[in-house]
Amino acid sequence: MKKISVKIFVSASLLFLSGCNDWLERKPQNIILEEQVWNDPKMITGLLANYYDRLPAHTSLTTGWAEFAAYDEAMWSNNDDGRNNIINYPFDRWRLWEYGLIRDINLALESIDKYAVKLSDAQKAQFNAELRFLRAYTYFEHVKRMGGVPLVTKQLIYDFSGDPSSLQQARNKEEEVYDFIASELDAVKDLLGNGTSNTRATKYTALAVKSRAMLYAASIAKYNNLMASPISTPGGEVGIPAARAKDYYTKSLAASREIINSGAFDLYKTNPDKGVNFYEAITKKSANREVIWAQDFLVSKDKRHGFTYDNIARNVREDNLSSSSITPSLNLVEDYEYLDGTSGELKNRNAGNTDYVYYDKLQDIFANKDARLYGTIIYPGTSFRGTEVQIQAGVKVWDSATSAFKTVESNTLGSNYEDGGLLTGSSGPQRSQTEVSNTGFYLRKFVDQTAMSSTRGIRSDMWWVRFRLGEIYLNAAEAALELGETADALKYTNTLRERAGFPANSLKTLNLEKLQNERRVELAFEDHRVWDLMRWRVAHEVWNGNANNPDAMIYALYPYRVVRPGHATHGKYVFDKLVAPRFRAPRFFQMGNYYSSIAQAVIDNNPKIVRNPFH
Amino acid sequence: MKTSIIKGIPALVLAFMVGAAMMGCEKDNRTEPKSVLKGRVVHEGQPLGVRSNGVQLELWQYGYQLFTKIPVHINQDGTFAASLFDGNYKLVRLRGNGPWTDNTDSIDVQLRGSKEIDVPVIPYFVFKNERYAKGEGKVSATFDVQQVATGRTIERVNLYIGTTTIVDPNNNVANAQQVAANLTDLSKPVTLTVNIPAAHASRDYIYARIGVKTSGVGEMLFGMPQKIMLK
Repeated sequence: MKKISVKIFVSASLLFLSGCNDWLERKPQNIILEEQVWNDPKMITGLLANYYDRLPAHTSLTTGWAEFAAYDEAMWSNNDDGRNNIINYPFDRWRLWEYGLIRDINLALESIDKYAVKLSDAQKAQFNAELRFLRAYTYFEHVKRMGGVPLVTKQLIYDFSGDPSSLQQARNKEEEVYDFIASELDAVKDLLGNGTSNTRATKYTALAVKSRAMLYAASIAKYNNLMASPISTPGGEVGIPAARAKDYYTKSLAASREIINSGAFDLYKTNPDKGVNFYEAITKKSANREVIWAQDFLVSKDKRHGFTYDNIARNVREDNLSSSSITPSLNLVEDYEYLDGTSGELKNRNAGNTDYVYYDKLQDIFANKDARLYGTIIYPGTSFRGTEVQIQAGVKVWDSATSAFKTVESNTLGSNYEDGGLLTGSSGPQRSQTEVSNTGFYLRKFVDQTAMSSTRGIRSDMWWVRFRLGEIYLNAAEAALELGETADALKYTNTLRERAGFPANSLKTLNLEKLQNERRVELAFEDHRVWDLMRWRVAHEVWNGNANNPDAMIYALYPYRVVRPGHATHGKYVFDKLVAPRFRAPRFFQMGNYYSSIAQAVIDNNPKIVRNPFH
Repeated sequence: MKTSIIKGIPALVLAFMVGAAMMGCEKDNRTEPKSVLKGRVVHEGQPLGVRSNGVQLELWQYGYQLFTKIPVHINQDGTFAASLFDGNYKLVRLRGNGPWTDNTDSIDVQLRGSKEIDVPVIPYFVFKNERYAKGEGKVSATFDVQQVATGRTIERVNLYIGTTTIVDPNNNVANAQQVAANLTDLSKPVTLTVNIPAAHASRDYIYARIGVKTSGVGEMLFGMPQKIMLK
């Protein structure tokens, strides 16, 4: 008995031992090894997709989209009033310290060098270039918010010696970060492949980033030093010497010109209706040669977002909740000029301001305006997806006893007045309700026309345009203007205006104010406004927290139908301009907002980090 | 049986909550700071009015591993208070923050028990001889604006009225303003008149307050809020 058990034991151990070698050397089923990742172009591409997805943004269709309603392009008309009542912008509002992503990119760069043996040199160079592009873009996102940040280009590894000081890197100068971005983009632009992709980085994407980054650096160098007391730190972490401005403008202009002259891109001019054309220029995802770099989405792959659900006009919504979140302001609407070149103020009162101007149709007050208005904003009398967006605040009933109009509005959207005609439109505007416009306007740009895209079940795959040729034209115009090449600046600006319906050579003279307005109307809701005002150092003046300053307030336009039977004006439309009823606190941007504060934990961990001014 | 368990649930939950609360005591057994630092931001001995919740001073304490500021917000009447532990602090007038000139010298504060200090600052503009008056449906203020620190120009003066004692650009029902172009001669008194909105016309009283904005400085300097009896 005993012998048998010994035999069994011995044979079992033999069986076990002989199996040892194979059994222990099986490849793990649930871990991907470094050697596998860095030798497989598909896996590296998958990793790149992750890095593209993690690129920081202040406002885009998915990240921070609601903040479009926190400046002067729009206000918030959905539930809660936070963005209509910002007493002052907090100092950490634009804070970014995304060294997690930078570390991952540095790690990838080093790992390709270390492990990749099966990739061709060309493949290696291409991935290397793309990763460095992403790192340069991430640093640009940092420098525009924080000023100079530590430029970390290698993995930092702790040696467990008890002394972490070798890992503590001081902040680089603001100009050093911009110079780093420029040199990195220059180094990689000819190595970036990706053909004509407009979602992965190509040579022209690198040039587009350079065009914008150098323009930011140049205007900070110029306009910061024109302030009564320039914002700077003794070590140059914040503030760029004025002498660098010309160099940066030149670099920006060269990059812009290379894109424009390459012929690789065209302004989108396919649709003969200029208003619809402008909407399509940004939102059409095929046969669109204007878009340089976009963040794309696809419903069928479950890569989608709720931007349309949250922002579609009230009476064309397909869900039973939300809609109407970001509602453009009258301020922005009036910044769109008339096509004859006159200022864009809407004429709701007659010249002597004694009476209304009476319009036959709601949309007539907007007649002959810059076509970009239509492509950006849904205004009274226009439609979306073929359905009229019914915008009417109420009726003005003539009271012959007092010889004045009596204003009648309703709390019920889409209700009729006692004469059987419309009282309040099914899309408002309404003074106090949520989920309906408070300004009398709705957003069109980036709101998806595809059926069912405003439902929570399906949602939208509208793309987010990071860079497009329209911006490059304006970057070129601004840099050319600052460098004294006014003829070229005019040419670039007028090309863009012609696309918007203006006659050829509509501008004969140009100044920065004119260009500022051009950027405001062309690039509205594309994450430019706040950064532009910051780099021109005018944000604290435009948004000075004064309720008497029309730029710091959000205005609304309320249309009314005239009820005055027997009179020539009966059935016509009049318009009231007013401060949007749900808007509370004037926008207040302080000097301490130009550079966001650095988190205390960062300073605790690295005492070499200098605080930004005013914090 | 089942019902008795269900009935017992609230009692059990209560027992857990009481238990958890009592156990929490052990971790939370530090005494709270009991010393109080009080003070005023003054110019020529007079406290200066600022925006509620807007302007701050900072306290720093050396000698610990982590070096973090303690922000001390100034009340709208120019006073401030902070509960602290005894110790030696440096009080810093944060640059570019209040409506006064930058002064990077810190003030040493030795706190033992409680202490009151005056923090002197040099404002750009101050008010003198403020006089408030009420008219039919309106409130007016007459005052002198005096420039103290040079180097910056005046941007505007405002008269705000509000329903509570907190009155500033964000908390008011109406305001009047005079911009720099009409303030060429500061040796003459300035008068501002604001109409009381119809919605507040029947009130017994209203608060009024004047403020001056210096170009290039975010925060305004204010007078003290004045209660105006309307009836």
